[in-house]
Amino acid sequence: MSFLSQLIPGFGIAKGMTLTLKRFFAPKATIKYPEERADTAVRFRGRLQLLWDENGLLKCETCFQCAQACPIECIDMGGLDTKGRFHVHWGAPETYGERREESALRRSGRVVPDPAFEPFAAAELVEVDEILARHDHDPAEMLAILEEVQAAYGHLPVAALKRISETTGAWYAMLYGTASYYRHLRFEPPAAEDQAASIAARRPTEAGYLASLEASLAGGSAATTPGRRRRSDA
Amino acid sequence: MTALSRTWDRLTLPGKALAILIPALLVLTVGLVVGIVLFGPFVWQLILDNLEIVRFVLASAILLVIFIPIAFIVIYMEMKIIALMNLRIGPERIGPWGTLFSVVHGLKFLLKEDFIPTRADPIVFTWAPVVVFSTAALAALVLPFAPGLYGQDFNLALLYFFAVGGMTVVGLLMGGWASFNKYSLLGGLRSAAQIVSYEIPLTLSVVGLVILAGTMSLNSIVMQQGVSGWFVDWYAFRQPLGFLIFFLAATAEANRTPFDMTEADQEIVAGFATEYSGMRFAFFFFAEYVNVFIISAITVVLFLGGWNAPFPVPHVELLIDPGQLGMGLLFIVALVPLVGTLLFAAPIFLLRSKTRWWVALIVGFALFNVFVGGLAFLWAYVSFDWVAGLFWFVGKTFTLIFLFVWMRGTLPRVRIDQLMGFAWKWLLPVALLNLFVTALAVIVLDVVRAP
Repeated sequence: MSFLSQLIPGFGIAKGMTLTLKRFFAPKATIKYPEERADTAVRFRGRLQLLWDENGLLKCETCFQCAQACPIECIDMGGLDTKGRFHVHWGAPETYGERREESALRRSGRVVPDPAFEPFAAAELVEVDEILARHDHDPAEMLAILEEVQAAYGHLPVAALKRISETTGAWYAMLYGTASYYRHLRFEPPAAEDQAASIAARRPTEAGYLASLEASLAGGSAATTPGRRRRSDA
Repeated sequence: MTALSRTWDRLTLPGKALAILIPALLVLTVGLVVGIVLFGPFVWQLILDNLEIVRFVLASAILLVIFIPIAFIVIYMEMKIIALMNLRIGPERIGPWGTLFSVVHGLKFLLKEDFIPTRADPIVFTWAPVVVFSTAALAALVLPFAPGLYGQDFNLALLYFFAVGGMTVVGLLMGGWASFNKYSLLGGLRSAAQIVSYEIPLTLSVVGLVILAGTMSLNSIVMQQGVSGWFVDWYAFRQPLGFLIFFLAATAEANRTPFDMTEADQEIVAGFATEYSGMRFAFFFFAEYVNVFIISAITVVLFLGGWNAPFPVPHVELLIDPGQLGMGLLFIVALVPLVGTLLFAAPIFLLRSKTRWWVALIVGFALFNVFVGGLAFLWAYVSFDWVAGLFWFVGKTFTLIFLFVWMRGTLPRVRIDQLMGFAWKWLLPVALLNLFVTALAVIVLDVVRAP
């Protein structure tokens, strides 16, 4: 058929003209932008952004499920990503959001003038290796490993955490989740007066959160703090 | 006095010309009015005695004026239709459905800088667009738009049309040469080569038609196509080969895709018009679209029956003479708009409960106007020959323009060697064959019918 149609002069022209005439009457693809908006694509997930609930609490509980679920490992929680590109600054949970935004800034190639992102100091890892060998590099004994490392170093250095992650095969994200869950584990050397001050500074905020949470649980919409309270008291 | 001379010195050349022309025009107008008042019958007699000259002046003035809106319409059609074929919407912001888009386009051209390149020939450079545009307008002088509605009707109209139409080349070459730019010159030469090459099959394809028609007067040719009232009389059906060749050659002659090597927007920017800007470029631009209109019009006149309807329209005698109504006419004029508006507004208001009464009234008034406009058109169609003729002529012409635009929306541009090869190796022999066959048929028929 195609061979025969090639023999007829003008067949291609007729075909093309038919096509354009069909297009002439076909529905148009233009979206008149300010008046009309295109529907969001089904697979669209948008920019990563942390949300606050009506009590001003960060909805993110740093469970790291998103980081684990992300197939291309583009989500990180302010720590090191799996390719070792970002450095860690461990701090109060209220500032995770800020650090995440800084991380996004860094990823976009802009400079983040923050000492928190200075390269972490390399640590002597002999003791870590000994501890790991004692536990047979078993990720199931993670809590014990972390406690022993903290006992040896006074805190959990990033280099040590990285080594633990590499040798046990546990995801760094899970490791961080475990370490940040227990209050007696810490990521920075203990500074007694600083810690006390920061706890004292944090107390009113936490008390506020608790109060509003209890109020909202008790009386429904009684005392909801509206919207985002992002950096007002952090 | 010094202030006056200083002001005079500061005027630009066009400013000086206008400073002389406007008072002269005022004086002339006043003189004309006074003259008509004093020597009214004499002036009237003068006009009647020189009717041909007056007709020529009027026709050329009207043509020059209406070609700008025609170019606007064709440009709008081109943008809109190609956009629709590309699944876009096209111009739609300015005016209803974007219809005022090309007007704004023209205004933009007016506001642009009027630029002449260094070492260009300013006189030739300035006159090139004038030549191109005025040849288009001159060629249209002989087009019969409707019965009695033509600039001039003389026995060599067809020859005149091709001769004047071919003068476009001169304008293009002038523009290309005077730009002092080798690419402009190449573009001008290239377009000259194209137009001259296609002029030959274009003219030859019509010779068969001229043999059949026995005249070169476009008016007579159109009238011959309306003898029986049916479309089978059209020359397209008696000269199908000639029609095909004419259409293809005309496409090239008007620099339309797929033969738009002259302009070739994507490849050589604008050919001969590269150095042009502002209103000078606009006149090249308008001339291009006026040429599309003229080429479509001449195709309609020669092959598609001109102003003739494709089927015999039954003649309707209007039974009511408005003059007979007397006082009734006054009542109709006073009442019909009111009643009509209410009649059209009522269903809208009753059927859609959301519609406000005043919105319904406005819509009803608009609908009533459309209705009355349609009625008025029907009345004019029935009453005046030239309205009917103009309707069919313009309808056919714009259908052809649609075809040209449709082709532009579909076909890719040919190469220059394909372009020239097509003209000389295909169109010219086929046109000669068509001429030969037509002449032979005429002779044979004469011999057969003679005894």
